[in-house]
Amino acid sequence: MSIKALGRSHLIEDKRTASSSFTRFIVMVQKELLELVRSFKLLWVPLVYLLLGIMQPVSAYFMPVILEQAGSLPEGTVIEIPKPPGSEVLAQTLQQFGTLGVLVLVLVCMGTVSGERNNGTASLILVKPISVLSFIGSKWTAMLLLTWGSLTAGYFASWYYTGLLFGEVPLAKVISSLLVYGLWLSFVVTITVLFSALLRSPAAAAFSTLGGAVALSLLAGLFPKLLGWSPGALSGFAYQSVTMGIVNASRFGWSVTSAVVCIAAALTISAGMLRRSSAVE
Amino acid sequence: MAALVQVRGLTKTFGAVQAVAGIDFSITEGHCVALLGPNGAGKTTTIRMITGLLKQTAGHMDFPGSVQAGQHRALIGYLPQSPSFYSWMTGYEYVVYAARLCGLSAEAAKKRAKELLERVGISSAAKRRISSYSGGMKQRLGLAQALVHHPRLLVMDEPVSALDPLGRREVLELLRGLKRETTVLFSTHVLHDAEELCDDVIIIQNGKIALQGAIEVIRSEHRKPVIELQLERDDHSERWLSAYMERILSSMDAGKSAGLFHDVQLQNGVARFTVNELDAARRKLLEELTSSQVKVSRLEIGHTSLEDLFMKVVTA
Repeated sequence: MSIKALGRSHLIEDKRTASSSFTRFIVMVQKELLELVRSFKLLWVPLVYLLLGIMQPVSAYFMPVILEQAGSLPEGTVIEIPKPPGSEVLAQTLQQFGTLGVLVLVLVCMGTVSGERNNGTASLILVKPISVLSFIGSKWTAMLLLTWGSLTAGYFASWYYTGLLFGEVPLAKVISSLLVYGLWLSFVVTITVLFSALLRSPAAAAFSTLGGAVALSLLAGLFPKLLGWSPGALSGFAYQSVTMGIVNASRFGWSVTSAVVCIAAALTISAGMLRRSSAVE
Repeated sequence: MAALVQVRGLTKTFGAVQAVAGIDFSITEGHCVALLGPNGAGKTTTIRMITGLLKQTAGHMDFPGSVQAGQHRALIGYLPQSPSFYSWMTGYEYVVYAARLCGLSAEAAKKRAKELLERVGISSAAKRRISSYSGGMKQRLGLAQALVHHPRLLVMDEPVSALDPLGRREVLELLRGLKRETTVLFSTHVLHDAEELCDDVIIIQNGKIALQGAIEVIRSEHRKPVIELQLERDDHSERWLSAYMERILSSMDAGKSAGLFHDVQLQNGVARFTVNELDAARRKLLEELTSSQVKVSRLEIGHTSLEDLFMKVVTA
């Protein structure tokens, strides 16, 4: 009797909450963010970006002084370094983000799926009535929030110091390059999530992503005609858009499209991969 | 009552290894079912397939009472062998999270989490990080998160195997209360737990079902009287015993006295005669003992336990 009653109350509950899969997704994103807070990632990743962003204009400004103080130069050497325009400094900042910044992000995301699968926490969550896609999606969303937040903080800090030390750069240029560069970082983070779902070892995921990202942007730089439409060209477009503006608009459009398509595909593949065998222990 | 789950021809192959080789069973609503088997028999694989964590190579699982076909995860609460949680969360946070993933609203989830933590007896540790929990507390937390959405079927993989005797007693006590409320399926290699808790058993061996049915039926069907005989350790008695056992075994092979003895085993100096007809066998044995002047130290009449059956089925 009691079991029947239990079953019926369950059915009623089911109808009431049938449409709340989006709510569950939000709950999962909140959990991911809480994890980022508790593990201090939400603190130190933005800090790294802030530091990188401030360091670039400051060190560029004081470069002549630094060289002079280094002391290894013969007496009477005159150091004449032309002051670069502010936009140039911002492009250099983006390059800093492209090396150290990417490394930090990849290290943060590398175990996001494989870690949970390896230690078994994923199997407790995936038996709940949630979709695999929202499991991956929640991790991805949290990582993207971290990425965009850190990038924006660091880039605006750099912009502020550049404005103080070198000269104003128009806000429109800053924002357009931020958006393009953010898309590139989003692409890198998505690929990390994908490899994290495909490979069991976080280190292997990090290595594959870093290798892939470096290769892709190198190739896109070396063969702009052949690969200028690939996501790898995005970082180059970001430098362009802050300095002189994007030259080849159609190629740029293609690379944005291909990045978005790649991100969608990577998420789908990750979810499919997890659906096939969610319990690896 | 109606079947809650019907499993037909469930199969899983990992490469060349067939972990589960086409098993059929059904779970009646309200029953407590034990999935028994030695290590490596395919218990965990079967359970993972039922929970949907592993996709079966072949076969079907039907949940006749399910609201939507293929959406049976909402009906199942699952506790794995050694549950691992987000160690940075508190126990309370984890249960709330689990409840919200099952579609409860924020307030309902909080209320339910408090209730369940109280019930499994870890409410005093609810505000502590899970990283500081002991194995038994984690098992209880696992139980709480599995029950959070009033599952119709509670699936547990070796729920007490990793616990010390005390923790095991407490978790079994919890399960005893739970099986009155919901259908329970759990795997174990400890026969005693199954005997204590369950209505039905399914014994699997090498990925196949070796024996299944209601525990009472199995017990009465396979229950045979046993005569345990222990002799003093003098030469004459020992010689007599080995000769006598020899005789019975050969007559069993010949099929002559098929009516009397079923099996004879010698364990640690105790001879166990599984017999078909107790009175006749006893009379015969006693006659032999007195006529041969054997020094008996102990003669006991009992019944085969489920463990004997289990050993027989599993080693067959």
